[in-house]
Amino acid sequence: MLIDFILLFLFAGVPYYVFFEKTKILGKEKIFLLSAFLVICGMIVSSMFPQERCTLVIVVAFLASWFSLYKAKQTTNLYKLSYYVLFFNAPMLIMFETKESILYGISLLVTLFGIYLMGKYYERSYGSANYRSVSGITLVTPYAGLFLTLYLTTLALYPPFPNSLLFFNAILSTDTNSLWYLSVAVIFFGNFLIAMRVMAKTVFGKPNDNVHYIDLAPKERWLHLAIFALLLVLSAAGLKELLS
Amino acid sequence: MSLLEKLNAVKDTVPHYWPIGAFIHHNPLKGFEHLNFKEGLIKAQNTFGGKVYMDPDYYIALYHKGKVKPEHLEKNLLRPLEEAKLENYASSAKTFMLEISPQWNSLRSYEDLKINDIDEELHTYLEEKSIYLHKEAWIESLTEHMTLYEIHDALFGTSEKELIEKDVIEYIARFLDEAQTTLSMADRDLGMFNTFKLYEDIDHEGDSESYVEKVLEEFKVPKKDIEKYFLTHILKLHGWAGFIKYRSEDKEYYPQQVHPSSLMDYMAVRLHFGLKYMQEGEINDFDKLHAYIKNNTPYTILKLLQSKGKLTGTYNDAMEEHQDYQEILDAYVKDEINLDSLQIQLAKKSLPSLDMTLIEFANFAELLKKEEGFLWLKSLEDSYISEHVDAFTSPHTYEEKPLSSTIFCLDVRSETIRRKVEESGPYETYGAGGFLGIPINFVEFDKAHALALAPAVIKPKNIVFEIPVEVHEEYNSKKGITKTYKKVLTDLKNNPYTPYIMVEAIGWMFGIKLFGKTFFPEKTEKLFNKMKPKKPKTTYTLDKLTIQEIEKYIRRLHTNIINEVLTTQSDTVLNKDELFILWEHLIFNKDLCIKISPDIINKLKHAYHITGMDYTLQKEKLGQVGFTIDEQVMYVENLLNMIGMVKDFSKFVIISGHGSVSDNNPFESALDCGACGGSISLPNSRALCMIANKEEVREKLKEKGIDIPADVRFIPAIHTTTTDEITFHDTELLNQEELELFSKMELDFKKASFEAREERALDLPNTNEQKDLFIKTMDWSEPRPEWGLAGNMGVFAGPRDSCRHIPFKNRLFMHSYDSTIDNENSDLLTRIFDGPLVVGEWINLEHYFSTVDNKIYGAGSKVYHNVVSKIGVYNGNYSDLKIGLPTQSVLLEGEAYHEPVRLLTYMEAPLDTVAKAVENSIAKEFILNEWIRPIIIDKAAKKVYSYEFGEFIVIKELA
Repeated sequence: MLIDFILLFLFAGVPYYVFFEKTKILGKEKIFLLSAFLVICGMIVSSMFPQERCTLVIVVAFLASWFSLYKAKQTTNLYKLSYYVLFFNAPMLIMFETKESILYGISLLVTLFGIYLMGKYYERSYGSANYRSVSGITLVTPYAGLFLTLYLTTLALYPPFPNSLLFFNAILSTDTNSLWYLSVAVIFFGNFLIAMRVMAKTVFGKPNDNVHYIDLAPKERWLHLAIFALLLVLSAAGLKELLS
Repeated sequence: MSLLEKLNAVKDTVPHYWPIGAFIHHNPLKGFEHLNFKEGLIKAQNTFGGKVYMDPDYYIALYHKGKVKPEHLEKNLLRPLEEAKLENYASSAKTFMLEISPQWNSLRSYEDLKINDIDEELHTYLEEKSIYLHKEAWIESLTEHMTLYEIHDALFGTSEKELIEKDVIEYIARFLDEAQTTLSMADRDLGMFNTFKLYEDIDHEGDSESYVEKVLEEFKVPKKDIEKYFLTHILKLHGWAGFIKYRSEDKEYYPQQVHPSSLMDYMAVRLHFGLKYMQEGEINDFDKLHAYIKNNTPYTILKLLQSKGKLTGTYNDAMEEHQDYQEILDAYVKDEINLDSLQIQLAKKSLPSLDMTLIEFANFAELLKKEEGFLWLKSLEDSYISEHVDAFTSPHTYEEKPLSSTIFCLDVRSETIRRKVEESGPYETYGAGGFLGIPINFVEFDKAHALALAPAVIKPKNIVFEIPVEVHEEYNSKKGITKTYKKVLTDLKNNPYTPYIMVEAIGWMFGIKLFGKTFFPEKTEKLFNKMKPKKPKTTYTLDKLTIQEIEKYIRRLHTNIINEVLTTQSDTVLNKDELFILWEHLIFNKDLCIKISPDIINKLKHAYHITGMDYTLQKEKLGQVGFTIDEQVMYVENLLNMIGMVKDFSKFVIISGHGSVSDNNPFESALDCGACGGSISLPNSRALCMIANKEEVREKLKEKGIDIPADVRFIPAIHTTTTDEITFHDTELLNQEELELFSKMELDFKKASFEAREERALDLPNTNEQKDLFIKTMDWSEPRPEWGLAGNMGVFAGPRDSCRHIPFKNRLFMHSYDSTIDNENSDLLTRIFDGPLVVGEWINLEHYFSTVDNKIYGAGSKVYHNVVSKIGVYNGNYSDLKIGLPTQSVLLEGEAYHEPVRLLTYMEAPLDTVAKAVENSIAKEFILNEWIRPIIIDKAAKKVYSYEFGEFIVIKELA
């Protein structure tokens, strides 16, 4: 039981970001790094204690997940978005079988790290990771548009990107119950809706005449290419898992 | 001032939008032509937003390519500098335009702000000058052209605009539908607003104006702002507004006659949906809005800035975190002024030798940024003008007696083919104003409706029917089969049950066309052409009918209907005399001495309109058929005089219309003859040739001093602009000897077409060989079957000898004109101004604005277009009606293919002649306001003038 509650915390099942946001002890950027780190710790702990999680923990994570979904809908900041999405997916990380949970978690973290890096790029180019005024990037900054599209498509659980394959693989190998159905449905559509909402306001739309657009620097492109390669590897792993 | 007057005062801000089936090129800023070009563009920019000139980068590239000559840029730059007493800084101004201006926006960078100190004096100066200190004015400027629901959306993050505009479009598209749908809206004959009352179940007794008044009161729109609010609403969907404006002003537009609409009706529809969606809104009238603004000024400004995309990420973050809005606003203002200061400081650093304070430099830069668009444009135009004038005034004479003279219907696309025809043998060419000066309502063979073949501003008064002159049984039989096939297919499609089976049963048949057209367009085209009925040989009804003939035709029409009704509906058979008696009774109320049921009489009168009134109407209509002999003579005389062809006629005078061929192209009529109402101009040329070949007409022309020898033949032709082929018609009138000569000429013309295609193919993308040009005419996925009028830049009115030697690559309209035969009122030149020049200006400015800002003045990409209501195209499944030209018509791979310049209008004539023509012309306003660039080549005075800044200035002295 104690392990379950530790995992609830580590797997972002409790929206502790509210504390950091209120107190401003940590900036948005750091909150993501911290939560990502804790999720990795959670994966380690979970692999050490592979057992079925108690329903109460899942219910708490699920309720917190709704809250994060609401927060994700409210924000236009890519840093915030990356940790809200992580918290939103917490019930899955807790509920899935250990191996599947770890695989899905890694894939999710890689995707969100890509989004986090896009936030960095936004901050460098436009003064903040907030994308609200920076629409239509595909037309004016094609590299940034391409990578953001890739990350958001992955996040939206589109096959053949790894999140979808690993998510699908995980739900196939988990025992079902009412809570399972509810959580899977909410998180599946939630991921899709969040990603589409961001996509509509960033990669699509017409460019803002008030903004001076700057594309990804060559170094950044290489970094994003590496993340993309990693996603490809995870896709292959996901496919392999699915077929086995 | 009534509401209608207020609406009328602002409606001309949007131009007419003609239905796409008869695409009319037009100046999208027609409503600003009462202003000088430069001022008009500033005002239009304030109204529509967007750009009115190309970006500096574009002009700088042309400067480096040598298209913009440095001397012209320097000369033009001097004018505003002199006015501001800054002429000593000309060299720095040029450096600013060439080097600093392209980077202007990138000098406002947050990164640089961190590492640069801001000059306090400059900061204070810019702060005092800015609008930020005047909150009310700032809010007013931010809310300009915003409706109440848009402001609401901006303040509260709602999406009412989406819902309202969608509903408005859905209703008006259904109401204005011209038979695209099979399920038409009911009761449209009641008019747009009355139908709308039924549609939305509105309980309102009065007309649309009283309803608008009521809603405006509910919105509490201040009386002084009503005009402005109307404009705001018109601008929301200005394509639709332009179309409704057009149809409400064209009383002869048939759909308007049967389904009337007005801009006031449209306004009522818009306001109704606004009211409907805003009722539950937090702010649903202007009083509440003003109170809200008063209590939440910083928040309102920030939200408005945010909705316009003017808040950068940092402020958006702060807004998201609900920090103190006054603090956020103060920080924003401070940053904005810091960025403005930084921009000035960094720009000044790039001009180290410039002896100016930062404040002086700020004003200097402001002046140059304000003027640069116009300066670049004028310099580009001036560079072309000097090049063209040199070419026009270099001596060239052509003595050889030509075998044929071909009069081309005016179009830039005839320039290459004319050159090639002249090079191919003893042939000369002329250019004559589109529609060849003969406006006709043309009823094509086997068609029921008349096409107005004349510019949109002219309403033709004469009807010409195309009638067969040979037996056409094969045509009838093939036509019958096609008609039956189409009817069966439509019935099956529209039936609620049959589509379920139909798709499986016959769906594959459509696959033949689908795959054939995609993968084997040529073969498929041939196959389908074989199945098409071939039109028989035809002639035109050019002579007026006599009163007896008219009466005979009406009687025949009426008695046929009566007979049909009697035999099918009452089993009564009457002989010819009895039918006549019944007809006389119905038309002239004469006594009826035969027994017919009163029901049938009533039916004939009311359902079939066999009445005295219809008799008069038919008489009037048939009275419009054909031309009187004087009219016929006048049209030929006008044409020949206008182009200066009054003596030494060639053996063959070819009058060539033009048309384009393409597939799956809603914009096809934009490629046809603009002066013929967006149709092909072959009927005009055939009509003129038939008239000119008449002995009677030639005799009368001789009396007027135009002696056309009896052996001269006028032959009509059509120039297909997509393939540069010239096809001749009505050659049966040639005898054997003439035919031999003509055949040789035909071969030369084919050679000319071949060479014209060779030249043109070089400029078209994905065209490697001549065959590709033909495939483009039948390829249904081809968004650019030809470049059309893209690239147009000017018009030349003068003798052909002055321009025959210059290859203009389809960029100039070449109108033949001989000022020596013009009269003292300059009637000929005035006619050129009134027709071709007006159309030329519309074409030119439509291309100009579609290129400089395709989002606002153009139609966007064809890829997203869907035809709506058969009147135009819109994006996806609802959007504004797309005005202007699609990107594929003016851009190539995202870059401008069309070079936007004003119409360079060269006139080879004495200055006085031109001045009189301008004075008498309907084009006076836009000529004097410089929406075109008039250049007068006065060879008698040995001077070339340009009309600039309200005066004629000499730009070249001739030797």
